[in-house]
Amino acid sequence: MRISAFFEARWFPALFLLFLLVIPLTTNNYFQFVINLVLCYVLIGFGQQLILGYAGQFSFANAAFMGIGAYTTSIIFTLNVPILIALMAGGLLAALVACLVGLPALRLSRVYLALATIAFGEMTTWILTHWNSVTKGGDGMYSPVPVFFGYSLDTDTERYFLIAIVCFVMVMIAQRMLASKFGRAFIAIRENEMVASCNGINIPLYKTIAFALSGFYAGVGGGLYAIAVNYIVPDNYDLFQLVIHFALVMVGGLGSMYGVIVGALVLTTLPEVLRDFQHYQEMLYGVLLIVFIVFIPRGVAGFLKDWKILPREILVHGWREEIPHVREAAKTAAVFNVGAGAEDRGAEH
Amino acid sequence: MAVNDVSMHIDRGRIHGLIGPNGAGKSTLFNAMSGLVPISQGSICFEGVDVTHLPVHLRAPRGIRRTFQHVQLMEDRTVLENVLVGMHSSISTNPFKSVFGLGAEGSPDKAAREAAREVLQFLGIGHIALTEMGGLTIAEHRFAELARALVARPRLLLLDEPAAGLSLRSTEALDALLVRIRDEWGATIVLVEHRIDLVLNVSDVVTVLDNGSIIASGRGQDVIEDSGVKRAYLGVDEEE
Amino acid sequence: MEFFILLSAGLANGGYYALIALGLVLIFKAQDMVQFGHGEVFMVGAFTAYTVFAVVGWPYLVAFIAAVLAATVVGMIVERWLIRPIAHMPHMTLVMVTVGLSFCLKGAARIEWGKDIYTFPSVFKSGPIVIGEVVLMPQQLVLVAFTLSLSVVLYLMFKYTALGKQMKATSQNMTGAQLSGVNIGRVFSSTWAMSGALGGAAGALSAPVLSLLFPDIGTFILLKGFAAAVLGGFGSIVGAVVGGFAVGVMEKFVGFYISTSLEHISAFVIIMLVLIFWPKGLFGTKDVTRV
Repeated sequence: MRISAFFEARWFPALFLLFLLVIPLTTNNYFQFVINLVLCYVLIGFGQQLILGYAGQFSFANAAFMGIGAYTTSIIFTLNVPILIALMAGGLLAALVACLVGLPALRLSRVYLALATIAFGEMTTWILTHWNSVTKGGDGMYSPVPVFFGYSLDTDTERYFLIAIVCFVMVMIAQRMLASKFGRAFIAIRENEMVASCNGINIPLYKTIAFALSGFYAGVGGGLYAIAVNYIVPDNYDLFQLVIHFALVMVGGLGSMYGVIVGALVLTTLPEVLRDFQHYQEMLYGVLLIVFIVFIPRGVAGFLKDWKILPREILVHGWREEIPHVREAAKTAAVFNVGAGAEDRGAEH
Repeated sequence: MAVNDVSMHIDRGRIHGLIGPNGAGKSTLFNAMSGLVPISQGSICFEGVDVTHLPVHLRAPRGIRRTFQHVQLMEDRTVLENVLVGMHSSISTNPFKSVFGLGAEGSPDKAAREAAREVLQFLGIGHIALTEMGGLTIAEHRFAELARALVARPRLLLLDEPAAGLSLRSTEALDALLVRIRDEWGATIVLVEHRIDLVLNVSDVVTVLDNGSIIASGRGQDVIEDSGVKRAYLGVDEEE
Repeated sequence: MEFFILLSAGLANGGYYALIALGLVLIFKAQDMVQFGHGEVFMVGAFTAYTVFAVVGWPYLVAFIAAVLAATVVGMIVERWLIRPIAHMPHMTLVMVTVGLSFCLKGAARIEWGKDIYTFPSVFKSGPIVIGEVVLMPQQLVLVAFTLSLSVVLYLMFKYTALGKQMKATSQNMTGAQLSGVNIGRVFSSTWAMSGALGGAAGALSAPVLSLLFPDIGTFILLKGFAAAVLGGFGSIVGAVVGGFAVGVMEKFVGFYISTSLEHISAFVIIMLVLIFWPKGLFGTKDVTRV
């Protein structure tokens, strides 16, 4: 039996949730902390994946969305708002800002969008650094200890449950959203905007939706990140952070949900090994980015799919129900050889 | 390529062939009908409604669909995904229905999948629904693109050289399919094609364009006998 | 009188913004792509000049030449071994590769120089030149004069030399240029060499003006260069120079009349406003919006 069948099984999400819930039994504090970061980066990475890998918009703003989410969540939470609402607020504010950032994308071509968003990112870091009264300036601020229904989440393990459940729910939603007309509209826009609009896709609307969702995921991910690391500094959301997101998406695999998870695992654990050597980290990300984008554009997830370890990602809800129909059609096609016949194969390619 | 002062009436439920030498303005006319190029003067009416200034993406839900001279499909995606892009306007935009399946329809993409299955079987390519485009032949590409245009049951189907690159056998299959699309699906078809034989075989009306204006229009055989058409195509003047 | 003080300070900064923008615009003109690693080319120039002048103790002129050479070599190596093999790939890929390159170079610089800040000693023994209340450092005058003369040379080169025409042809239609006998490899190579030289010169010339050097300086400089290039209308030589000086002056005025802390983000505000409301910039010819 192929390994991918295991991931495709109907009961797999439930099993995976169970797996997530028992992880803490096997970890020590440090390992737990790293796992918390991995889960945060799954959401943050999905923000970048959605806008770059699916909608094909060359946006450099993901680190800023993450920062907006982290700060909003922390600041709102200090006002004694329930943690889930604070997280949502962080995500929503980031989504709102992302809509505004997406406006130039409606008319700018790719490289110029990159420049506009990079400027936006730098401005965000600047505002976080200089808005002393709210963000406590460049020295950063402690993110308050989250309280979940009166229960204070002091340790990494306790925070893990909050992070894991939010992450699980949001990944499930993301996957369903991708396998719907929304996901298909995004990739159609990436492929060719003219063709997409001829098929009835409202390009400005769906680009804006893509930006908003991307901002929302990066924002909630950033909020969880603030909870996980407990301390936030503006400098953490600069270009270096963004390169981590780029590398995450490229290493995992552009345009793949599994790619985000694989990328988050690799990109969060690998630098932990190089923790004290920022220069090696920078070079590592740079080299990973170059190597993967030039030589392995489908990323690690691409390999795993070729080896049938990960299942295919077809952006149609319930596509597996089509398999018997395809088999049936293959029988008649073999008998009658109708339609686009086999004699065309190869000859005209 | 400019098109000048062209007036065309396309009857419902007919196949309307559009021929002419290279650069005659066929593609421009096509792009104007699908809204990809703005027109400086005149108007386009569809089913009694003026659609001249209707944005491209709003023409699809009205039942205007097209294919492209160079096949435009997502090569790293399956035939099914490509075809379902054509169903975009037919699926509810409400995420509770189309993402979470909370509507009365149940599973979000079910109706769309059924429509796609039917079209793919109709075109005889149901067996490749879950195959990625990249490994398929040019004929399969042409038919997949046709499926994407057909899946939402268009009332006006604009086909830009659908037989380009097809073998004789596939062209014959296409020939029969076009007639069935007209008769069984009730679609109006405008066909731009270089293979005159295909156009003459299936078209109810043929219009000839040259240098951006219509030089002849009528039943296929009549048009092809027209001296102006011969001149445009062969570049000879009969009086000489 | 503060008006003239601000103006001269702004023009001095604008000098190296313009040089950076020129380096970016050259590559954009030839290859239709944006070089995100250009800030690090500047850093290579600045640190080479620092090593030769401040550490080894050789004359500044030698340090300047060394910086230009080092940056030119970096530019050529990057073009030959990194960009040329993938020149046919989508722009997004090329740009992403230069982002990766930028971080590779930055990390490499950090191995030697860490996170510290280095001071570049002053070059000219003579004191500042005082005209009325305006105080000008000789280094600033050299920088501005160099920028202006270099931009004239570049402008003439694009207009009159064969190489300039070939660059233009290549950027408009790579295959067409190739078919009509242009050696596009040589065109790209010379473009990157020139862009590198400009970046290195900017580094060597502005290091004494900036007086502070750190491995992260590239990002900071790159964004100023972007602002200058965008304001000038990406792709125009004249635009890059005018844009550079304009950004330099604007920063100083914003910093003085509105708030000092705003000085550093005015470049980003300029990028965003120009791209949103006025994408063609001052001298832009290329259409930056979607077709």
